[in-house]
Amino acid sequence: MTDQSKAVDMRTRPLGETGHESTVMTFGAIALNWVEQEAANQMVEHVLDYGVTHFDVAPMYGDAELKLGPKLRQHREDIFLGCKTQEREYEGARRKLEQSLNRLGVETIDLYQVHGLEYDEELDTITGDGGALEAFRDAKDEGLIDHIGLTSHSRPQLILDAIDRIDDLESLMFPLNPVVVGKDDEEHDYEAVLARADEEGIGTLGIKAFADGPWPPTDELPETDRPFANWYQPVRSPGEIRERFDFAASQGLTSVVSAGDPKLVTMILEAAAQYDGMDEAAQRSLIEQSRHDDSPVPEQLHH
Amino acid sequence: MDVPRTVTAALEDRPVDGRRCLEAGAGVGNTTAGLLDRGASRVYAVTDRREDAQTTRCRVDRGTDRLAVLEADLRSIPLPDDSVDLITAHGLCNVLDPSALSMVVAELTRVAVPGCHLVVDDYDPLPAEAAVRELFAVENAAANLATGRPALTFYPATVLRHQFEGQGWTSDRERTLLEPVPWTENHLGTHADTAVSFARDCPDDLGESLAERADGLATELGSESAGRMYSLALQLQA
Repeated sequence: MTDQSKAVDMRTRPLGETGHESTVMTFGAIALNWVEQEAANQMVEHVLDYGVTHFDVAPMYGDAELKLGPKLRQHREDIFLGCKTQEREYEGARRKLEQSLNRLGVETIDLYQVHGLEYDEELDTITGDGGALEAFRDAKDEGLIDHIGLTSHSRPQLILDAIDRIDDLESLMFPLNPVVVGKDDEEHDYEAVLARADEEGIGTLGIKAFADGPWPPTDELPETDRPFANWYQPVRSPGEIRERFDFAASQGLTSVVSAGDPKLVTMILEAAAQYDGMDEAAQRSLIEQSRHDDSPVPEQLHH
Repeated sequence: MDVPRTVTAALEDRPVDGRRCLEAGAGVGNTTAGLLDRGASRVYAVTDRREDAQTTRCRVDRGTDRLAVLEADLRSIPLPDDSVDLITAHGLCNVLDPSALSMVVAELTRVAVPGCHLVVDDYDPLPAEAAVRELFAVENAAANLATGRPALTFYPATVLRHQFEGQGWTSDRERTLLEPVPWTENHLGTHADTAVSFARDCPDDLGESLAERADGLATELGSESAGRMYSLALQLQA
């Protein structure tokens, strides 16, 4: 167990060329949406006790921005704050940025990201005249944001195109876990994104590290009966959480974003605090495990 | 198709491009796919199981003329002497009992050209604390009673290395492919099914109780990660 009486020295890595050292775990502040304000305050203190320096939030995460606000303002100097917008055009993006600054109650956001890029047309819009990135750049000139990033769980090729077309892109957030790494087709080749981002000096933030599979159809398990708030069924034991953290962190990402359900946060903090690399045989073991869980080929005696 | 990382890790330091390769024990064609991906000029995928031959053809073929799936016994491979440059035995040896193993080693050596490369990937014996040992023990008991031979033998890496060294191969390297080995629900269910099918040929009511035990264990265990899968690389002395 981690000694709570002293600050933990969580490992850090440079977030691309931003000059910021992110901890190997980024706190996904959506977790605050599911708890009351007092518990949210405690959770932020808890996360900071582990030495986490990088937080990530978004306006679409219920009232997570509002709940993060008080402790964010108290510890503003200790937190590198990422936020994002799903708006693709100038006016909308500007409005959302101002709204987030307002709801968070801060003067600046350290990393402002295009949230959830999904289609080629969206890339055209954000990079074009009157697109969201113009608003980002103006905001950067005004000192409202420091760095520009992008998040996507869409096709890896779309993210590679975004790298080509956005010269001032400084961070990327995308899925990486053993299921994704075990698939060789282009639709899952986020390793190519990782490699390219490294070449270009772009920071990398991994999401879906703790995903175990989709939820059953809602006629089998209604949404209100799901035991976790995540978009997907998460792995849920400390051992599995640690394996998944170690796997994601050892792929070369700058930082692994914690899962969205508050019940998982402490386990992920513990895993991140203890992170000490993962050897390749153990990484392959996780890839093989998910490959067989998911395999269309019946009757396999071997690996 | 996705080539398993165990296969890519075992092949990554071997010369495959432009070589004539033999996959000994084709299984579902995973290593065959890996060899073709790495540029093998020809892959002979040898298996004595018709369903594996069909699965390999169906998964890997994709119209290539570089693949020949041969349904044959590995103790008598339908290829001339000195005809392949690289041999893989990925998860093969554990299904060979000691006498079959020595015959297969001799036959693989016969078809290998001098200087041929060989990759042998297999499992160390499971550690004492691994619960899956009991399922494999039941599977072996049923196989032994039904056929007089075990279904599975997990040879330590050194044992397999010595087998091949005795036939003129020299060892290049050993690496760990999986540690721990993830024995998934899929694997354990398949091993239980194998045990049950051997149990049908067992005398009196012993078979019935072994079959029941195998099914019970697979259900009870679900999955377990235990043991080590290794990769040996050797070369035939020129």
